[in-house]
Amino acid sequence: MKNKRLQTAVFLGALALAAFPGFSPAPKADFDFETFARLPILEGGRVKPLDSFARTALMSIRGKQSVPVDGKAIPAARWLLDSAFKPEAADTYPSFVVDDPEVLGLLGIPQDKTRYFAYWQIEPKRDEVQTQAAAADQVPSGKRSRFQSALLNLNHRLTLYERVKNTFMLSGQGDPAMDLAAFSAALPGALAAFHSKNPTAKDRVAMKILSDMLQRYQFLAQAAAFKALPPSKDQSEDAWLSTGDALSDPTAGSEPHPGLSSFALMGRAYRAGDAAAFNAALAEHAAWVAEHRPAAARAARVETLFNKATPFISGMALYLTALLLVFAAWATRREDVAAAARSLAWAAFVVHTLGLLARTVLQGRPPVTNLYSSAVFVGWAAALLGLVAERLHRRGFAVSGACAIGFTTLVVAHHLSATGDTMEMMRAVLDSNFWLATHVVAITIGYSATYLAGMLGVAWVVRRHLMVKPDPEASKALSALAYGTIAFSLFFSFVGTVLGGIWADQSWGRFWGWDPKENGALLIVLWNALILHARWGGYVRERGIMLMAIFGNIIVSLSWFGVNMLGIGLHSYGFMDKAFLWLSAFCALQVAIMGLGALPPRFWVDHRKEA
Amino acid sequence: MPRNDVVNRLTSALSSLKLTIVCLALLMVLVVACTLAQVDLGTHLAVERYIRAFIVWWTPEGSSVRFPVFPGGGLLGGLLLLNLIFAQFRRLELSWRKGGLWIMHIGLALLFVGEFATALLQVESNMAIEEGRTKSYSEDYRRMELAVIDETDKEFDDERGIPSALLKSRAEITDASLPFKLRVRAYHDNAALSMRPASAPPSVITAGNGTGMAFRPMPPVTGDEEQNTAVAIVEPVLADGSSMGVYLLSNALGAPQGFMHEGRSWRLALRLRHYQHPFSLTLKDFKHDLYPGTTIPKNFSSLVRLKDPVAGDDRDVLIFMNSPLRHGGLTFYQASFGKNDTLSVLQVVRNPSWTLPYLSCILVSIGLLWHFGVMLRKALIARPA
Repeated sequence: MKNKRLQTAVFLGALALAAFPGFSPAPKADFDFETFARLPILEGGRVKPLDSFARTALMSIRGKQSVPVDGKAIPAARWLLDSAFKPEAADTYPSFVVDDPEVLGLLGIPQDKTRYFAYWQIEPKRDEVQTQAAAADQVPSGKRSRFQSALLNLNHRLTLYERVKNTFMLSGQGDPAMDLAAFSAALPGALAAFHSKNPTAKDRVAMKILSDMLQRYQFLAQAAAFKALPPSKDQSEDAWLSTGDALSDPTAGSEPHPGLSSFALMGRAYRAGDAAAFNAALAEHAAWVAEHRPAAARAARVETLFNKATPFISGMALYLTALLLVFAAWATRREDVAAAARSLAWAAFVVHTLGLLARTVLQGRPPVTNLYSSAVFVGWAAALLGLVAERLHRRGFAVSGACAIGFTTLVVAHHLSATGDTMEMMRAVLDSNFWLATHVVAITIGYSATYLAGMLGVAWVVRRHLMVKPDPEASKALSALAYGTIAFSLFFSFVGTVLGGIWADQSWGRFWGWDPKENGALLIVLWNALILHARWGGYVRERGIMLMAIFGNIIVSLSWFGVNMLGIGLHSYGFMDKAFLWLSAFCALQVAIMGLGALPPRFWVDHRKEA
Repeated sequence: MPRNDVVNRLTSALSSLKLTIVCLALLMVLVVACTLAQVDLGTHLAVERYIRAFIVWWTPEGSSVRFPVFPGGGLLGGLLLLNLIFAQFRRLELSWRKGGLWIMHIGLALLFVGEFATALLQVESNMAIEEGRTKSYSEDYRRMELAVIDETDKEFDDERGIPSALLKSRAEITDASLPFKLRVRAYHDNAALSMRPASAPPSVITAGNGTGMAFRPMPPVTGDEEQNTAVAIVEPVLADGSSMGVYLLSNALGAPQGFMHEGRSWRLALRLRHYQHPFSLTLKDFKHDLYPGTTIPKNFSSLVRLKDPVAGDDRDVLIFMNSPLRHGGLTFYQASFGKNDTLSVLQVVRNPSWTLPYLSCILVSIGLLWHFGVMLRKALIARPA
């Protein structure tokens, strides 16, 4: 009874803690940063809030979603605002993370304590970076040296930052409102001059001024990182414009886009530090968007809330705390600590579920669409399986597996999010909700179950060496759980793999092409089938099954991430250099654990006694 | 009796669980090796050497002797299939409890049979059509043929295709419908073509566009995106033994080459093998949509007119991603495009066994659910309350 009340309290307390970031009021500011962050824009083929773009951009440039300025962390949307309207200030922010010593050498920056550098520190060598990157780009992606990859990566991030700076106005242009006014004033005269049959000297000057301006705007149109001007309600849904698009095509509509003047006024006010004028121009634009594109405005608002709530970060923290509590429960043998750990794990799972659901709804797609979302989903399904399994055998093993996998996969997902928009649009060949919902989901559930079985194996090995008193009943329960999980995994891996073949047959006419990703999936099926047959034939017993289950961790990881590192095949979605080291470390760790499991029981304990 | 003994031992070995496990483990190693080999060999050749082979051979660098190093996919798959069949009948009783295993294993056997059938029967080709054009044939991806075309009739070309395998194995090719025979002087799967320097000794090539050219045989390329430049040196010889000249033919030479004989106009060409179909497709429109403001493809689609006088079809069909056209035992998929979105490339696949995996997937799913359901029920009943 006492435990029940404790469990409820822990559960609700954890949920309240997790909800806090989403509902916390914004810090007081004169400028209405919140509304600015919520403005919808078009980028990467989809409508999203400025906030999402800013977070993704800063994540890929800096590896974090905020940047410290004068001892205070400023959020991504503020960083974007500064970069766009006050580039001279943003150039001094430590926005670029540079790790590679050779790249630092090229930049002429001595290796110091910090890994973060400002644009102005890199700017003197900007051309050199560009030249070197162009050379590195000629080398096929699999054959690039560490320096070449790091340099290309830096060049890509520098370009992204420069595009952000040239989205609303030309970087270093001064007052954008004055420029817009000059343009509007020059336009009628120059247009008349273009149509006049006998242009006078004055006409020629007017035309020259206009053509210079148009040239600059065309550059702006090409440089823009996103399109911030929504189509009006009688235009097509896709007809979004960037500032440069709208300015460089003055004959397209008789009236200039009202957003042009709103953003120009925002820019002038922001540069001048005039919060009231900034907020007024912002409110005007927000009202126009709400009137003409209510759906886009609503979607952007919801997504901003989702960004702010950071459910996966909260989930990560909760899983880790729950895992530590399970260890504490094992160490103290206290049932109330174990109960609290279980509640905390459930709370983590609920937060994880809400985040997953929100993403699914926002994107209007099944939960797994890219590598990032596969990590989120694998963790979620493994956590669910582990929590359900824990109800069958309340020994803390399944829940520890659930928390360990939930935590690890969310960490992996967090790092994957640095590669770009996590809700990117689907390429044509993958664009099928039916197959995404069946094949991809089944395969990823197979991954989850294999990992869970592997974690049970790890728990079994750890117990074997740490428990003072052997507990054959617990070991038996553990191996029964692992067996059930492997059977579950075999079902989903097999069905998922064959469904993948059927999808391939539907989309490019081959049921099975022995493509690396397909082979990876097949390996999981074969391995699980092998474990079950070996058990059935009595060739392996408890220990053998457990060690084989741990080896399953390696197979799934190679199938999931390893094949992407081969850089070939129809399925590969991005080459990851750093991930390779982590993957190798993970596999080595599994082999080490298997070795430990193969040692005679109580190996450590006996030796310590002897010594 | 000793003979019975041998049979008994063989069947028990073939039905043993040890064989299953060994084969599964070897298959895993093979799949890993094949995946790694794809980096260097390309998917097609790696699969040919590792999976669609009974033995994986290894040829040491610079040697002409090859050694068997590992069982290939064909051998392991065949053994597993035999193992499955023998084990099923020898060891598994037919009961409700084992019903799931029966269904699952039958499904699995179908999957193996399907993969064998695909390896033997599947033919892949592609059809590239420009907007407004009509085609009734598709082209192979790799295999070449020597086309002998009677072009006398302006309306209709009378074509014969001689497969490259024949060009390689025979020195002379005769055909009852041809008034001449073809003497094959040389055939190379891949070669580098170049202009013949003026100082070079006289060439064997005496007729056609190849008289000013030289070639150097090259090892064939295998990458997924690479194309071989095949070369055939062919001499048409009339019944009276007089030669019509020696021609250099290559798929890399576009200009037509040929000769006149007894008032008929003959053209010779080395080209990717053609597959004629008894129906035609006309490309009416190709669409390539992008997500707004990006270069990410959103959809590719080809609107074609299908005309099949035999089947009585004359209708529009829209082929797009994940939605192929199935007609006349062939399946047409949207595969690629070109020429500023006015050319659509359809992949054409003939695979009579394409339905087997669908059936197998259903059977194995039912079988696994059944079996694990039974096991779970047993475990829950056995659990102490």
